[in-house]
Amino acid sequence: MMAGRRRRRRVFRDRLTEVLFAFPALWAFATVILVPFGYGIYLTFTDWDGVGARGSFVGWQNFVRAFYDGRFWHSMTLTLAYVAVSTVLLNVIAFGLAYALTRGVPGERVLRAGFFAPNLLGGIVLGFVWQFIFLRVLVHLGESFDVAWLMKSWLSSPTSAFWALVVVTVWQYAGYMMVIYIGGLMNIPGELFEAAAVDGAGPWTRLVRIVLPLVTPATVISIFLSLQRSFMVYDVNLALTGGGPYRSTELISMYVYRKAFVEQQYASGQAQAFILFAVASIIALVQVYVGKRREIEA
Amino acid sequence: MRKRARVWIWVFALVVTLSACSSGGSGNTPGNTAGEDAAQKGGASDAPAQAIKITLLNSKGEIQELFETAAQTFHEAHPDIELSVVPAAIGQSPYEKLTSMINAGNAPTIAMLDTSDVLKFADQALDLRNEQWVNDALPWTLDAAKTGDGRLIGFPFAVEGYGLMYNRAVIEKALGASWDPAALATRADLAALFEKLKAKGQAPILLSPMDWSLGAHFLPISYAVQGKTHEDVGAFLAALKKGEVDLASNAGFNGLMDTFELLKQYNVNQDDPLSGTYDEGVAAIGDGQAAFWFMGNWAWQQIKDFATDDGFGFVPVFISDNPEDYGNREITVGATKYLIVDRAQSTPEEQEAARAFLNWLVYDEAGQNMLVKEMGIIPAFSNIEQKPDDPLARSVLSYMNEGHTLQFMTTLPADHWNVLGAEMQKMLAGKLDRKGLAQAIEAYWREQAK
Repeated sequence: MMAGRRRRRRVFRDRLTEVLFAFPALWAFATVILVPFGYGIYLTFTDWDGVGARGSFVGWQNFVRAFYDGRFWHSMTLTLAYVAVSTVLLNVIAFGLAYALTRGVPGERVLRAGFFAPNLLGGIVLGFVWQFIFLRVLVHLGESFDVAWLMKSWLSSPTSAFWALVVVTVWQYAGYMMVIYIGGLMNIPGELFEAAAVDGAGPWTRLVRIVLPLVTPATVISIFLSLQRSFMVYDVNLALTGGGPYRSTELISMYVYRKAFVEQQYASGQAQAFILFAVASIIALVQVYVGKRREIEA
Repeated sequence: MRKRARVWIWVFALVVTLSACSSGGSGNTPGNTAGEDAAQKGGASDAPAQAIKITLLNSKGEIQELFETAAQTFHEAHPDIELSVVPAAIGQSPYEKLTSMINAGNAPTIAMLDTSDVLKFADQALDLRNEQWVNDALPWTLDAAKTGDGRLIGFPFAVEGYGLMYNRAVIEKALGASWDPAALATRADLAALFEKLKAKGQAPILLSPMDWSLGAHFLPISYAVQGKTHEDVGAFLAALKKGEVDLASNAGFNGLMDTFELLKQYNVNQDDPLSGTYDEGVAAIGDGQAAFWFMGNWAWQQIKDFATDDGFGFVPVFISDNPEDYGNREITVGATKYLIVDRAQSTPEEQEAARAFLNWLVYDEAGQNMLVKEMGIIPAFSNIEQKPDDPLARSVLSYMNEGHTLQFMTTLPADHWNVLGAEMQKMLAGKLDRKGLAQAIEAYWREQAK
């Protein structure tokens, strides 16, 4: 009885200590994420325009309107295509780079640093640099060497502007994902390869049967990060294409931003942002769930 | 125990957060006029020991540095006031920046807004109708800042104009003779000049593809030429909203579109018309790659880095071949930026300081000098004798003095430039014909009626 109470008291003290240590982080999380998130959801049910009084309660109207907004779904589809294409390309290229740069190539470290460097630039700067490349440099090269598909700027037609966005995204993040894959590759024990070689496995078999399954944890993380970054992209979109030509490359974040602040329908934009949140989280959760299961099998 | 502690933490976090929100919010309530009254009683006579710090949100990025200099000059004249200038970021609308600053409880004392956004902040803005400068302002510049209940909440900061900008030296060099912009009176004259320039190997015009330029500046000329008074133009837009206008048979619209076709035909970038940027245009007109550019006088701040002389000015965007038609002698001129003073979150002293700054701009010689000479702003006040040095502003002024101005459509719906600018880009790229554009415009305006 006595011992039980004392233990309980000690448990309480431990818990209190834990809570006290966790408090600053929890408090920051609550004020910066949870409260604004909850408040944001509340705003989706109003007709607030961003200034002045908080608007009146309008029920589900903002969501209904979003479902009938053709442009919203156009942007959403475009974003899904962009996410799919850039996630695949990013991870294939990042894995390729990582695989090539963990085999003892001379100058490996310099190359790794080089591929990682774009990730250190801000999206706006990068967007403007690439805008210059697409508008001037490539066009100049096209004219000098008489290459027809380079003579017109990639940014002036909807399809090529879409690919320009993909190219820049891949260039920006491939190095980052490469670092994650390198981490995964370095963790594979060397004796596995020796054993495989003794058993007569060629390079391809080794790659498919040993390397790929064993880097699955890195793959799961990389795909998750690629999904998240390409879903939420705004800065590159703004600086590179600005949504143009004629609003054909307005990805979903830009569309939502413009809804809220250019068309000045704040609550409507907030409702669309919430739909975006739901779509993105479902996709990310499914990806992590599937990825984790494969990890266990490996 | 564990559960209870957790609940306790959450309650605490929420209380702290909510109280933080509400203390920010209480100053935010509309109708808080106590500050205003106190400001008038307080007066500037008893200067406080510590300098009053006020902020100004600047949404004219091209004069950010000059504005900082102006703030410094102002501080030297008024040591008790420190003004800091906050810029709105590239690509960020002043409306958004101000909205987020207000909601963060951090409203700037003075904010520079686009004309169409001024009245949206009526609840936050201080009534300025009793200020001295109200009597010296050009009367039409105050219209956009008057609220329904008779308050005046905006200080007209800048008058701006746009049209077809020319580089005279380049034209004269190509023609091998002197050239008088006043000799152009119709679209046919312009076409003849373009043809001559082209024959001499000089690219005639750059038509930049930015949606704001096409959607907020070019297309609205077709609205402005519908009538000589604000009421006539307003009636035209009202009819457009009701779906009563057939643009396909409208003379003003068709006239402007014929000119658009002409500019397209002689465009430097006609092979790849959507590839241009604003900066490219600045360089092209400045160093003579193009003889004309469709833009406004605000561009001088950048053009002057390229220009070798000041032979720049505007000719109208001609809309027909009859020199007498309204729009063939006029360029578009309007008040495009207003300053509002925050009353909801600023102390009476801060409001007083902000009003002192506005007065300094209008009545103090140093202030006038900063505004007109340094920033190259065309002032909206008749008492200011100084004239801008830059040739584009002087050109706009000469049209103003002759009364040859078209209304600058500054109070169009907020997404007009974005939605219809995109349609104009399609037209520029040849993806949309005139009929399609007319339908898109009609559909857009019908949507506004809802």
